[in-house]
Amino acid sequence: MKRRGRGIACMWYPIGFTVSANPSAAVVKVNEDGTATLLTGTVETGQGSLTILAQIVAEELGIATDDVHVVSADTDTTPMDTGAIASRTTYVTGNAARLAAEKAKKILFEVAAPLLGVKPEHLEVGDHKIRIKGFPQRSLHIGDVAERARGVNGDPPIGSASFNPATAALDAETGQGKPFATYVYATQIAEVEVDDETGEVEVLRIAASHDCGTPINPMLVEGQVEGGISMGVGFALEEEILFDATGRQINPNLTNYIMPTSLDMPKVEVDIVDSYDPTGPFGAKGVGEPTCVPTAAAILNAIHDAVGVRVTSLPATAEKVYAALKAKRAQEGKRLGAGA
Amino acid sequence: MDRHDTEDKKSAVVERKTPGDALGEMLRAPAAAPLVPTPLETLVPEARQQTPAVRQRATRPDARLHGLGQTKYIDDMYFPGMLYAKIKRAGIASARVLRVDTSEAEKMPGVIAVVTGRDVPCNSFGPSLKDQPVLAGERVFHAGDGVAAVAAVTEQIAAEALEKITVEYEPLTPVLDPLVSLGLETPGVHAPSPNIYGHKVIKKGDVEKGFAASHRIFEASYRTQMVEHVPLEPHCSIAMWDANGRVTIYTTLGRITLGRADLARTLAVPMSRIRIIATVVGGNFGGKNEITTEPVVALLAKKTGRPVKCTYTRPEEFISSTTRHPIVMDYKTGVTKEGRILARTIRLVLEGGAYCSWSETTLAKACILSPGPYDIENIHAEAFVVYTNKTMTGAMRGFGAPQVCFAYESHMDDIAKALDIDPLEIRLRNALREGSLSPTGQQLQSVVVRDTLLQAAQRFGWSGDGAAS
Amino acid sequence: MATVTLTLNGDVRTASVPPETTLLRLLREEFGLTGSKLGCDVGDCGACTVIVDGKSVNSCLMLAVQADGRDVVTIEGLATMSRLHPLQQLFEDKGSLQCGFCGPGVIMSAKALLDENPDPSEQEIRDALAGNLCRCTGYSKMIEAIQAVARDGRGEPAKSAV
Repeated sequence: MKRRGRGIACMWYPIGFTVSANPSAAVVKVNEDGTATLLTGTVETGQGSLTILAQIVAEELGIATDDVHVVSADTDTTPMDTGAIASRTTYVTGNAARLAAEKAKKILFEVAAPLLGVKPEHLEVGDHKIRIKGFPQRSLHIGDVAERARGVNGDPPIGSASFNPATAALDAETGQGKPFATYVYATQIAEVEVDDETGEVEVLRIAASHDCGTPINPMLVEGQVEGGISMGVGFALEEEILFDATGRQINPNLTNYIMPTSLDMPKVEVDIVDSYDPTGPFGAKGVGEPTCVPTAAAILNAIHDAVGVRVTSLPATAEKVYAALKAKRAQEGKRLGAGA
Repeated sequence: MDRHDTEDKKSAVVERKTPGDALGEMLRAPAAAPLVPTPLETLVPEARQQTPAVRQRATRPDARLHGLGQTKYIDDMYFPGMLYAKIKRAGIASARVLRVDTSEAEKMPGVIAVVTGRDVPCNSFGPSLKDQPVLAGERVFHAGDGVAAVAAVTEQIAAEALEKITVEYEPLTPVLDPLVSLGLETPGVHAPSPNIYGHKVIKKGDVEKGFAASHRIFEASYRTQMVEHVPLEPHCSIAMWDANGRVTIYTTLGRITLGRADLARTLAVPMSRIRIIATVVGGNFGGKNEITTEPVVALLAKKTGRPVKCTYTRPEEFISSTTRHPIVMDYKTGVTKEGRILARTIRLVLEGGAYCSWSETTLAKACILSPGPYDIENIHAEAFVVYTNKTMTGAMRGFGAPQVCFAYESHMDDIAKALDIDPLEIRLRNALREGSLSPTGQQLQSVVVRDTLLQAAQRFGWSGDGAAS
Repeated sequence: MATVTLTLNGDVRTASVPPETTLLRLLREEFGLTGSKLGCDVGDCGACTVIVDGKSVNSCLMLAVQADGRDVVTIEGLATMSRLHPLQQLFEDKGSLQCGFCGPGVIMSAKALLDENPDPSEQEIRDALAGNLCRCTGYSKMIEAIQAVARDGRGEPAKSAV
């Protein structure tokens, strides 16, 4: 018989390395027409991090994402970066990129201020313009200012900056300290169907609610959550590298190492919770890794809810769930027998 | 550079080596690459052109190239005269290397160069402990270790040459279980270094006092498995030297700053003479965060004077890249009648496999996160990471967090059931709040774990009607 | 050496290759069409999916000589100089791809499905993608994009398949 169950799991996860410095540097160059180039040493490994960084630079300069071109991943031409690891790109590289853009913007403000007849601190950017705070109709196009910065003032609007998350060493005895600058939080709830005759588990649905600080790009955040969940489903139910008695892998191929296909993935409903971290770029934290953290726990709790067995080792393959069901029935039988 | 741009030069280079044979025929076959259509007038999705830019559902500029099949991943790159490298894998978990005989392989037509561990200027690297060789030296520590590498004019010839390399081993008894490895009497995987190569403790409050005040105490053990990242694109790198002794390496590496430092060390070349260009990476998940083939292709390229490319086969992705740490996890939790956690002790044993890799940060994250997103006054968490003669573990999406979350959340549900409290409710009662102190005593900000619990519950339609539905 | 003549993205093409050459290597190495990817080389991952005589196939499992005389469509054959194929457009709009390595294969599987069944159910879409592994996306936004293409009735065969 197929039995349904639901399971909940929440988690917390840090951004960046544990205590160790993990800086990023960035360079932002504003072109003479008001578009911009970002130089970053990070590597696009699929998450869309370069798009996120472009959005951050665009926001700081008051221009559109499309106006920012990102040059990345070359040790000869781009500044150092600790890399695409530890869910750190949006927060750490993002902060560096924002600070670099801010420095370039400062040069533009110095050029624009006398033209608009105010001090630089009275200026703001928005909609491709540099304008007076409170008097948005008094403005100059950012391209005109950038061209003037180069051609008249001789001060091209280029900014460079670096950022390293604020941490404090852990006490060697007690582990007390500040290992990370910030953390994100999430909850996932899974609904499963367990065949109590075969032990087979089907994940029907997952509701995922994630905190990433300000979502710089909600569509890419959703993509991270959906993808992380697929990795979590594999971790929960299917994936395992197996070894023979001599220590050699038995299943080093995609025929025998089972990972989720389109048939294994449940319907995923993603919510992004409201949150703002003042230390992140525009309040953003990160989202890459934590998306796969609570999935297995939620699924295993749902299996327990459905058929009453607690599988304590992953993956919860059909064989393992079936064995647990059999053991449970044997014990219940014994108890009944003892009672009679 | 595309293959069709360089076909002529490639043939000319190959001809010297294998005149007139079938191979030469194949490589001289005319190039026939058509122009790839480049759409000029397509809709530009609006979100990319909006200000403010943040919070926009902007599409990715690389998405169009991906969809057209125009993204140049490293496997789509070719350079004139490029050779193909393959790495011979040990296939034995623990052994002394007595002899590596590459002479038969070197004699094969089409084989241009062979290197072994002896050719590596500094044969050790790693993000924290420098315990990983580029190619095995005197010892093999796991079955996926490389023992020699071949550069040949085709991948096929390189693969065949590996079969001609003979390695004589003195087999040693492998350590295959992390709990066995932990034992004092177990021989050291990297003797004289101890098998426990990392240890972490978090102490907060007084757990004994917390347990003494508890209504009930729960204990449970959990265990997780080794899994692979499975990026769809295999690891790959291409190296080429110029006449000034400068090397350029194209690679699937996700961390080029560290990669350059590792290459400077292993090749004994100043950083100013190394250029690393990361190509568009076809999936990482933590698995492409340290060098693998890069020093090997650099050495082969130097030896041959030609660009050399090495791509992992899918089996190599499993046996010779990093994997997720299996963890053995013991939990003990004291709670009040209302389900408030008063004390929690945790012991974690992480299996590190043959090399340290990113174990240090995995150990720390697993240990710090292991109490869960809960406000607990009394905590004692202790974590160890040990060597085994198995595939090395390393960075993988979540750094130990999915493992400990499986444990603390399974444990939480069992406690809830025993106390007859709804699983959502028990979590809400214990969840961290704004300003809560973390297990390391850090005051937390922008804490929204309760918000995520409530929002997920609302989305799912969770009604707090008791533990079992 | 074996001579292979096939219709490739609408054009008749010929190449001379060793008989063990796979269709994938023929496309990538002889014709420079690198959109089809090598992910496993044994037919497990689907990154090399192309359409042969209207059916999606793993081109790493098909010999080049088996494609002789047949009609082959690759990812490069979908767009025109001025217009993306609806699948390519919707995959872009919905953020369906992340690292993108599986993308060409997924899009070709989806095209084969829509060519045969312009109005597939979600389950039929999942069935059609079952041979295409993706590690980044969880498939959700791919399925959404394919559904959107089907809904708009834009899953018509591309003209390059003629």
